[in-house]
Amino acid sequence: MATEDARYRQSSQYRLWSFTTGHLASLRNECNSLAQKAISARLQSASPNDALPEFLTPAEELSLVTHYTVELLPRRCLHRATDRDTRHRRHLLAPLLRHQQHYDLPPTELLKTCLFFGCKAEGHYMRLSKFADKFPNTTGEEVLAAEYVLSQGIRFAFDVRHPFRALEGAIMELRRLGDFENKRIDRAHGKAREILKFSPLVTDAYFHYTPSQIMLAALAMADEGLVERMLREAFAAQGDAAKEKCGDLVQACRAMLEKEPPEKMNDNEERKSIIKPLNRKLKKCRDPDRVDLVALQKARREQAMVKKPKVPVKEDGAVFGGSIADGRESKRRKTETEE
Amino acid sequence: MAVSPLVDGLPNPAARAVSSPLKNAAPAQASSNGTPVPAVAPNATAAVQSAALDLSEQMNEDEKRKYIKGKKLGEGTYANVYLGQVRNDPSQLVAIKKIKINKEYTEGMSPDAVREIKHLQELDHPNIIKLHTVFSSKDQNLNLVLEFLPLGDLEILIKDTANVHYGVADTKAWMGMLTRAVWFCHENFVLHRDIKPNNLLIAADGEVKLADFGLARSFSDPYRPMTSNVITRWYRPPELLFGARHYSAAVDVWSVGLVFAELVMRAPYLAGNTELEQIELICKGVGTPTEENWPGVTKLPEYTISNQITPVLGKDHYNALFGTVGNEGVDLLMKTLILDPRKRITARDMLKHPWWHKDPKPTRKKELPRKSGGEGEEKVGADLKRRPGVVDEDKTNKVARKLDFGGPL
Repeated sequence: MATEDARYRQSSQYRLWSFTTGHLASLRNECNSLAQKAISARLQSASPNDALPEFLTPAEELSLVTHYTVELLPRRCLHRATDRDTRHRRHLLAPLLRHQQHYDLPPTELLKTCLFFGCKAEGHYMRLSKFADKFPNTTGEEVLAAEYVLSQGIRFAFDVRHPFRALEGAIMELRRLGDFENKRIDRAHGKAREILKFSPLVTDAYFHYTPSQIMLAALAMADEGLVERMLREAFAAQGDAAKEKCGDLVQACRAMLEKEPPEKMNDNEERKSIIKPLNRKLKKCRDPDRVDLVALQKARREQAMVKKPKVPVKEDGAVFGGSIADGRESKRRKTETEE
Repeated sequence: MAVSPLVDGLPNPAARAVSSPLKNAAPAQASSNGTPVPAVAPNATAAVQSAALDLSEQMNEDEKRKYIKGKKLGEGTYANVYLGQVRNDPSQLVAIKKIKINKEYTEGMSPDAVREIKHLQELDHPNIIKLHTVFSSKDQNLNLVLEFLPLGDLEILIKDTANVHYGVADTKAWMGMLTRAVWFCHENFVLHRDIKPNNLLIAADGEVKLADFGLARSFSDPYRPMTSNVITRWYRPPELLFGARHYSAAVDVWSVGLVFAELVMRAPYLAGNTELEQIELICKGVGTPTEENWPGVTKLPEYTISNQITPVLGKDHYNALFGTVGNEGVDLLMKTLILDPRKRITARDMLKHPWWHKDPKPTRKKELPRKSGGEGEEKVGADLKRRPGVVDEDKTNKVARKLDFGGPL
C-alpha cells in the first residue's frame, strides 16, 4: 500500500477538515454573515420597528468557542476520559468553529452533546442518564437534542486521527536510538503530552497540520534537541532539503501551539473578562427560534410526521418508469409472504 | 465535497418572513434557563418551517438532493434499503440504506450506524463497499448512500448447488478479493468483526465487496478491553467464544478461513446452534484448544471444553475434505484455522502465500459464475437491511442477538 502520507490523504480528516488559513477564514466569515442575515430577517419580521442588535464578529465568535472548549477540558476527570476523548471533543467542536453555529445554538448545550457523541463514536457506550447526571440541570433529552445537528455539521465523518499514538512511537524510537538519558526523554514525554492535551485543541492546529506534525511541534516545545535528532534519523536517506521542509512545518505549527501553552488552561480570570461582554452580546443576537434545542428537535419530528403522506415518492418513482413501479408491487408482496 | 462553500444563494429572507410570523406561534415553551427573555418569542416550529437553513443543514440538503430514492429493495427491523439514482446521471445506481429509529434504544443515534459510517468513511478500496455519502432526512433517519451491488452475495452462490457450478479457480478469485479487503481493513487498523458469506456482496462486474461494518471497530489501545460478543456464531473464533476481551485482527482471519472452507464444501463447515455447540464443533473439526497448543487459553474467562480432547487435526483430515484446492490451498486454510490467535496467519501473510501463484490461476472477475435473474437484487436488499452479527439459519431463527451496549465495545 501507498505511503503513510498517501493513506492520510484518504482520511476524512484530510479530505474534509484540512484548510489553508485563507480558506478557513473565509468559511468563518461566510457562516457569520449567513447567520446574521437569517437572524436579522427573523427579528425584523417579528418587530419591524426595533433596531437590530449588534452582531458578533467572526473573531468574537472564535473567542467564544475557544472559551467553551477550555471550560470543558477540566471535566475530563468526570468521564474516565483519556487522550482519545479529549481530542474528540475538539474534533466535534470543529463544526462550531467552522460553521459558527452558536448564533443558532447555545454553546454550552452543544458541548454536552459533543462529549456524549464523542464517547459513542469512540466506542465508550456510556448510559445517557448516567452521563446527564454528571451535569447540573441536564436531562438526557437535552444531551441528545443536538446529536443530528452535530453529525450533520461534521458531515458524518466520525474518525479522528490524533497525535498521541505518534508521540508514543516517537518516544520508543528515541529510546531505541540511545543518544539521550532516559530521564530527559521521560521529562519531554510528559511535557509533550500536557501540551497535546491542550494547545492543539484550542488553536487551529488540527485544521492545518497532520497529527505527526502536531506531535513533533509539541515535542519540540518540550525539548527541541530530541526533535532535531529524530528528523536527522528520519531524513537520513532523503537529504537536507526534505528535512528542512519538514522542520519548517514543525516550527510553524509550534508557533501556533505556543500561543496557547497549557499553562493558560488555568488562566480563567483573563478569559472570563474577555468572554463576559461577548456572551452578553450573544444573548441579544442569537436566533430566537433555535435557543431551545429540545423544542426544535420535537418540532422537526412533528413536522416530519405531518408531511409523511405527501413524501414525493411518486415524483421520484416516476423517474424509474412505470414498469419498474409495477414490478415493485409484486416483488414486495413476495418478500412479505416469505418473511 | 464539504470543502465547497455549498451555498448557492443565501436563504431567502422573504420566504422566511412569510412562513415564520407569530400567527401560529406555539406557546413559548422554550426553557428560559436563566437567559433573559428575548425580545422575540422563541418559536421552534417557525425555525423548522422556515426556508432558512444553517450551513450544515444546507450541506445536508445538498447531499440529499444529489440522489433520487426509488423502489424499496428490502425492509428489515434495522433498516430499509432503496434503489437510488444519481440525479445528474440517472444511469448511475446506488443503494440507499435508511436506518430506522429503534424505539427501544433511547440513547440517540444507533451505535451500529455510527460504527458503519465511521469506518466506511475512511475505507476506499475496490473490495470494500463504497459509501458515497450520508444524509439525514426530515424525520431524522440516517440515510447511507452505498454502492449498488446487484448480483447478490456469496451465500446465494454457495447454496444454489443445483444451478451454480464453480471450481477452484473461481474460489481462488473470490478468496483473493476477500483477503485483499480484510488486509486493507487491518492495514487501516479496522477490525470488521462480522465476516461471512452474506456480507460479501457482488458487483455488476463480478467484483466481491466486503459490506456491513455495523460491528466494526478500530484496533483497541493497549489494555483497553473490547466485547467478545461479536462475529456471527458459525464464523466466530475460539478466543471470542472463550470470552477474550483483548484480541486482534486474527479474529477476522478465522472467519475468512471458514468462508474458504464453506466455498469448497458448499455448506458451513462449523454450524453450531449454540455457543457451546460451536466450541464443541471447533474441538471436533479443528482440534481441542489446550495449554499445549495455545499457551494461556485455560485462563480465558469462559474457557470450557468437554472431557474428550481431540488433538489438533492434521493435513490428512483437511485433504480429505478440502483436497480439491490442492496442497497449497489446504496449507493456507489450515493456517487460518490455527487455534492460538498469536500463531494464526495474518491477512498480509495470506496475500504472500504461494497458493495464489499455483495453477489454476484465479478466474477473471468477468468470467466468474453468477446467479441469473433478479434474485441478486432482492438479496442485496435483504443483506443490507440486516442487523449485524446475526446467523440467518434459514430464517427459522429470526431473533437478533442482543448486543450488550453497556460494556465497552
